[in-house]
Amino acid sequence: MIMRTILIVDDEPRIRLVVRGALHEDDTRILEAATGHDAITRAQAERPDLVILDLGLPDMTGLAVCERLRDTTGAPILVLSARHSEDEKALLLDHGADDYVTKPFSTVELQARVRALLRRASGLVAPDGDARIVADELEIDLTSHAVSIGGSRVHLTPIEWQLLRTLATNAGRTLTHRQLFAAAWPGRTYGDAQHYLRVHMTHLRRKIEREPARPRHVVTELGVGYRFVP
Amino acid sequence: MTARQTVSTIRRRVASSPPLLVWLLVLAAAVAILLPFRGLLEESHVALLLLLVTLGGSAAAGRTVGWSLAVMSFLALNWFFLPPFHTFVVADPLDWLVLVVFLITSAVAAQLLYVAQEEARVARARAAEVDRLRIVGAEALNAGRAEDALATVARVIREVARADRCDVLPSAARTPPAGSGSAGTALDDGTEPDDELARWVVESGNAAMERSGGFVHLTAARPAQSDLESLASGDVLALLLPLSVRERVVGVLRLRASEGLRLDAERWRFVDALSYYAALGVERVRLVAAEEHAEALRETDRLKDALLASVSHDLRTPLTTIKARAHELRVHGDERAEVIEQEADRLNRFVANLLDLSRLNARVLPVTLELNAVDELVELVVQRVEGALSGRPLLVRLAPDGELLFGRFDLAHSVRIVVNLVENSHKYSPPTTPIEIAAGRTAEGVVVEVADRGTGLDEDEVERVFEPFYRGPGAPQREGTGLGLSIAKRLAEAQGGALRYAPRPGGGSVFALTLPAVPSSGAMPSF
Repeated sequence: MIMRTILIVDDEPRIRLVVRGALHEDDTRILEAATGHDAITRAQAERPDLVILDLGLPDMTGLAVCERLRDTTGAPILVLSARHSEDEKALLLDHGADDYVTKPFSTVELQARVRALLRRASGLVAPDGDARIVADELEIDLTSHAVSIGGSRVHLTPIEWQLLRTLATNAGRTLTHRQLFAAAWPGRTYGDAQHYLRVHMTHLRRKIEREPARPRHVVTELGVGYRFVP
Repeated sequence: MTARQTVSTIRRRVASSPPLLVWLLVLAAAVAILLPFRGLLEESHVALLLLLVTLGGSAAAGRTVGWSLAVMSFLALNWFFLPPFHTFVVADPLDWLVLVVFLITSAVAAQLLYVAQEEARVARARAAEVDRLRIVGAEALNAGRAEDALATVARVIREVARADRCDVLPSAARTPPAGSGSAGTALDDGTEPDDELARWVVESGNAAMERSGGFVHLTAARPAQSDLESLASGDVLALLLPLSVRERVVGVLRLRASEGLRLDAERWRFVDALSYYAALGVERVRLVAAEEHAEALRETDRLKDALLASVSHDLRTPLTTIKARAHELRVHGDERAEVIEQEADRLNRFVANLLDLSRLNARVLPVTLELNAVDELVELVVQRVEGALSGRPLLVRLAPDGELLFGRFDLAHSVRIVVNLVENSHKYSPPTTPIEIAAGRTAEGVVVEVADRGTGLDEDEVERVFEPFYRGPGAPQREGTGLGLSIAKRLAEAQGGALRYAPRPGGGSVFALTLPAVPSSGAMPSF
């Protein structure tokens, strides 16, 4: 059995307890840190497989902790955020964090996010090179750039294709507006490009979703970006 | 008595006697000196010397003395120096010419001198007035406190008008609330704030006067010509003028003199000009007080907001713990724990609502207006409400003809508004009937409507439904805070949109959120 190590960074002991309770498994070793400095030290020493990072630590900003962690470990970072720190959430995702849950979160949601991050980190999800991605009736052929819904071909513009490809190859993970923009318009300055991104995403989802108000494949994460549901 | 004392006594007497008498003596002296030599002198020489005396009198003592001297010189010239002497008979017709020319010349000269002197006097008075206004202006502007400036203006007006008292009464409606300053402070030795006449002046915007016989209500903001005459004559005991700034009456200027006001045209003009300073002074006091009041309110709001932010942050951690523990209990088979989870969520929403309401009130709620797709708005609403509807049908229609709708709005705020509308519909309509969300476009912008088949609102409710803490009569006791719709409406307006209610044809309610639209062409990327 492979042991997995998860580092929980939160200054609130009760939250650490709750997270520990939710993630407790026989094959999981759980470490705790109460400050940003402590977190960085432990991450260097223990090489965790996943870091759960609360925003609003007493000694460092979330962004600073995130960047320092990225320097020392390749482990995915899951951010715990409060409702009123949406901008900070997106900022962290742009600077190395992998996903987030908003407080108060449900245990089920936390477990699902952790599982998805660990699975992706261990390489169980199809990497970029895989030729086909299939999600229900949606089929994406990465080699021929062909997209079809229930067997019938869908015509995408080059930008729509880039967006869908980027999302689908990062299935389950929330991509920020900035990350998607960089993928679809390489070399361009971001600026207020969220607007363009929204327009193209709307067109894309009208083409690939049977019911755009209840999207099955590409869902919006308010204030952050979009996520492909495998 | 020495000679010097005698001279100085004479000088004093001369100085104190009427100027006409003095100048007649001078004329008599001149005549007396010339008389012995009248055989040697031509009448024109005499006339010139007498003219000199006349001009001297005019210059020193004014027009009346000048003209009197002219006439007296004319008579003296005729009597003493034109043959036949000691009669007013003139033998030589040419002498008549001398006499007439002499009279005209001296009269005209006296008049010209008078005019010149009068102009100089008026100019000096003007200069003094301007100087005084300059000083009032400077003092009023330099006074540290607005009240001091106003007191300075009142003092100057009192001095200029030679009144016993000058009060500047700020109008009650303009007086800031008590405790936020002392703008209502009476000036000089106090005022009666309930002065009936002053109130009338504020209300009517017209001036008023008080005579010994009673009050006189005037028909304009400033006294008419006929009233000015009585102001100058001294039978007006008090004058009340409305003080206006940008056509609003901000107060009353009241001048009082127990002996009667004596405002001649010039003084009146000056008082009138100064009254504008008084009006500006009152306005300044009001603005300073209003600013202090607003600053105090802002400070209170900041404190309230900081408190709420801190409370809501502090509540979130225990809520997370409670929710997680309740979830564990439910997973282990305790159905009662579900209620704990739901209540934790509700408490969380309540805290968030309170925080937002306080931010809306303090106008510090950040609003990010940017291009957004209505598709995304509706999607996020469905994401959030579908779970809570427990299987109840939610019909969604994006746009009538597949059109893509874009608007300029704050996505997060708009999602909250529509989520709130759907939750309300869920609460107030029969659980088997569907709730409908429909997006569309009107001339005003893009619209998202939430419609249900509930009982709708009666007329009284339509008025009150958007008020904070209003809860519908059918509201389940344990749910809701009564804040949702009031926040929703304020959030809509903060984005330049609107939230409206309309009865639904066939029964039920339609709440419509209108947001500023962006034309599809404007929404298309340029690259």
